[in-house]
Amino acid sequence: MEKAADVLIIGSGIIGCATAYYLAKKGAAVTVLEANDSIGNGGSSRNGGGVRQSGRDPRELPMVMWGIKNLWPYLDEELETNVEYTQKGNLRLGKTAAHLKTLQKLTDGAVACGLDVRMISGDEVRKINPYLSNEVIGASWCPTDGHANPLTTTLGYFKSARRLGVRFITGEPVTLIKKEKGRAHVVVTPDGTFEAEQILVAAGYETRALTEPLGIDIPMRKKKSECLVTEAEPPMFEQMLGTAEADFYGHQTKHGSFVFGGSTGLEMFGIDDGPAQRSTSLSAPCTCRGIMKYFPALSDAKIVRTWAGWTDASADGIPVIGPADGVPGLYIACGFTGHGFGIGPAAAYSIAELMTGGTPPVDMEPFRCTRFKAKI
Amino acid sequence: MIKANDRSNKMAPFVPAEDDDLIICRCEEVTKGEIRKAVHEGMYTLPEVRRYLRCGMGLCQGQTCGKLVKGIIARELGVKPSQLEAATGRAPMRPTELKIMGSEKGGA
Amino acid sequence: MKRYDLIIIGAGPAGLSAAIEASKRGMSVAVFDENARPGGQLFKQIHKFFGSKKHKAKIRGYKIGEQLLQEASDNVDVKLNSPVIGIYPGKEVVVRQEDHIFHYKADSIIVATGASENMVPFEGWTLPGVIGAGAAQTMMNLHGVKPGEKILMLGSGNVGLVVSFQLLQAGCEVKALVDAAPRIGGYGVHAAKVARCGVPFYLSHTITKAEGTDCVTGAIISQVDEHFKPIPGTEEHFDVDTICVAVGLSPMSQLLMMAGCDMVDDPKRGGQVPVCGDYGETSIPGIYAAGDVSGIEEASSAMIEGRMAGICAAQYLDFCTEDEKKESLKTLLEDLDDLRQGMFAPKNRGKKIEKTEEGIDISQTLLTKGHLTREEAERFPGVIHEVGVHPVIECTQNIPCNPCQDACPKHCIQVGNDITALPQIDPDVQCIGCGMCVASCSGQAIFLLNEDYEPGFASVTLPYEFLPLPQKGSKGKALDRAGQPVCEAEVVNVRTAPAFDHTALLTIKVPKEKMMDARFYKGLGCTEGVEK
Repeated sequence: MEKAADVLIIGSGIIGCATAYYLAKKGAAVTVLEANDSIGNGGSSRNGGGVRQSGRDPRELPMVMWGIKNLWPYLDEELETNVEYTQKGNLRLGKTAAHLKTLQKLTDGAVACGLDVRMISGDEVRKINPYLSNEVIGASWCPTDGHANPLTTTLGYFKSARRLGVRFITGEPVTLIKKEKGRAHVVVTPDGTFEAEQILVAAGYETRALTEPLGIDIPMRKKKSECLVTEAEPPMFEQMLGTAEADFYGHQTKHGSFVFGGSTGLEMFGIDDGPAQRSTSLSAPCTCRGIMKYFPALSDAKIVRTWAGWTDASADGIPVIGPADGVPGLYIACGFTGHGFGIGPAAAYSIAELMTGGTPPVDMEPFRCTRFKAKI
Repeated sequence: MIKANDRSNKMAPFVPAEDDDLIICRCEEVTKGEIRKAVHEGMYTLPEVRRYLRCGMGLCQGQTCGKLVKGIIARELGVKPSQLEAATGRAPMRPTELKIMGSEKGGA
Repeated sequence: MKRYDLIIIGAGPAGLSAAIEASKRGMSVAVFDENARPGGQLFKQIHKFFGSKKHKAKIRGYKIGEQLLQEASDNVDVKLNSPVIGIYPGKEVVVRQEDHIFHYKADSIIVATGASENMVPFEGWTLPGVIGAGAAQTMMNLHGVKPGEKILMLGSGNVGLVVSFQLLQAGCEVKALVDAAPRIGGYGVHAAKVARCGVPFYLSHTITKAEGTDCVTGAIISQVDEHFKPIPGTEEHFDVDTICVAVGLSPMSQLLMMAGCDMVDDPKRGGQVPVCGDYGETSIPGIYAAGDVSGIEEASSAMIEGRMAGICAAQYLDFCTEDEKKESLKTLLEDLDDLRQGMFAPKNRGKKIEKTEEGIDISQTLLTKGHLTREEAERFPGVIHEVGVHPVIECTQNIPCNPCQDACPKHCIQVGNDITALPQIDPDVQCIGCGMCVASCSGQAIFLLNEDYEPGFASVTLPYEFLPLPQKGSKGKALDRAGQPVCEAEVVNVRTAPAFDHTALLTIKVPKEKMMDARFYKGLGCTEGVEK
């Protein structure tokens, strides 16, 4: 058991990579174990790139707002990577009175948390984004929202953490976390064992199987999300977009391509094909129809690629971030429920603070793993 | 497949080469030097290099450059190209307009 | 959703062959192809194929395509202009047709998507005028368009050699054939056809630059060292407008990957290929691969692989019995095995072979310059000297091919049971000079010599596939195997016949001492290269 570190992180998604980075900055010796052959092969490489506050559960708003104010604008420089962060606002679109009602409710919740978000009319929407069809009758508008490139962001954290001396081992699936003298201390892989003072499990849905034997069960489900990307088009708009009905969400990247995700309504019930994460035949056509209802001008844009990925949908829709109560030495970050990218840097920064005895910038209480209770 | 890959392994330092500005991925205009540099920054797999630089992610989806990129990564790592994982095959196999993809017939 | 017993992706030689076998056994079959015409690459192949009779040897590729279509036409539904955009879970095949996408389901799938051309990057490789050899072939042979006037060919494999010859036939000037390898990769007989037209071969050379700002205006090549690095000071400039790249093919296997088949990167098979059984069975029951997509070979082997996959799919869904399957596969596997023999067999790729199966030293000039020397030619069993007319067979490498054996009505040529053996001439049989052997040789390696044509003169009958045909009585130069003029020559006979299948036989009269050098003819009035 020669493979020792201060902190061992299981999972090299944006949470794993960014936490490793912030811990290494504080001088910790960190090792990251990734089951897949590639870094960030899960949701971190498969999401739509939203860096937004609006539309979120009020419990996670303070954390994401802190990240957007304090981390995102400086990430390019910090990571020496073009993360393509674009802070040009988020339009969440509505076409019916029912949509507007949904949006109003979300907006009221966010305003109560101090977020600058407001309802605007269809005409105001088209002033911001003239390509939207007349069917749009209103939207919520959050000017400080935006988007970024999840691929380069995750790999940028990886690159910078590696440069600070973090050891990354890919193709190293963890099979067991063992306690020693009451503390989570040893991690077992088919190739050997690793020991560390602290262990962070940031392995998406797979976190559940690793913490369950230690008596921590996070209520989550696997949900397949699917996306598509078009060829590069001339610049049209810079906002992040979404709809009240989740027909589609996405943005035009700085590179010119449009990245869109969407929902068929069937994703909770798909076959679990494990790491294959195959696209379904229904998703891309459905997303295309969703997009065209709002953007007729995009109907000739060519799709060059589609993909799918698992999200870890927690029982109450927000993540678990923090210590595994009752298992000293063990920390958990999972259950980001498909909106973990934008909040990722702030979540990672907060965990790094917690693990090094510092003070996280926001209250971590809403993210405790012990919060799940029966309804009666 | 390269398994149990320790990304902290020591690698010879990046030395600029004469042909670094040669375009390898013509769809996304990615050069040989950028690919080599990415490997030295830790991107050891084809999926990582593609995600980091967008090479092979354009109109032809790597049909032309896939083998070339793989060869460059392998050379930097000192392994055989056949030891590296390939890029995933993803639909649509040919670029397809939104309006066509959205117009389904014979669907479930 | 429309359902089929079998969906085949790709209507090339493998896909059509698979469809024929499957539909013959009663399966409902759909074949999807993204092109406007069926046949895959077959309709671009205007040369005669190698192999034996059962492999349709000595038939030109496009005619094999027509035969295949004819055989398929009654029972097979080929849907053209129909690119498959994905194979989804549950053997669902999504196809783009016109302005819609269609969902189909199949109980079995055969992927026969073929291959795409490799590229090699060099300075200026993205300039217009740098094209794939396959593209050049499409332009010439399907659309009747010359790809350029002055060509530099990169790659000495069979594709590079065959396309170089076709470029010459189309009236282009092939300025040089360049390959970084120290030896020519393709069949010597293909190289010899090109060399005798005067095309210089540059082995151990690579292109270092395509010149031009808006399009190719020239090319620079350099000699390479043993690590394939250009040697400074060896640069040579060529005045060309087109650079043709023929540096190998890669299987287009993405659909199989998307379907979830186990894949492997196998350089001997050309790249990323499915893990396959002997008959194309992938790791997913009911999904098969056939043709180049499962490993780069020839169209002849693709057709056999297609038939095998079609039969397997039929048995998988109980359209034929296990015994029937075994019976049919046995013959096909033997046919395929025949094709996979000889020096160029897939198993020999990368091996340095110095001697023929008969123990004769292989011509080194053939491997580096593309042609035999007169002295080298003399050591092969097909090269003999006799009184009167007789064939001279300059076939010096073991390749699976034997049409010459059946061509001679007198049975004077023998290859024997080993299809890769070098042809031999029976000295006891008198040649009647009919020329059937000359026209039947896919490698254009057979010549008729009349060593006693006239006092002091011999005649050489050679295969000729250029237009316009020289007239009887016309005069010009005899060219040697390197395309260099060796003497005056007079055309004393021009023969064409349906049985020759567009290969004309040109008989030229040359001084007797030049009869072992004269292997091609250039009419007067041609400034360079071959007669146009």
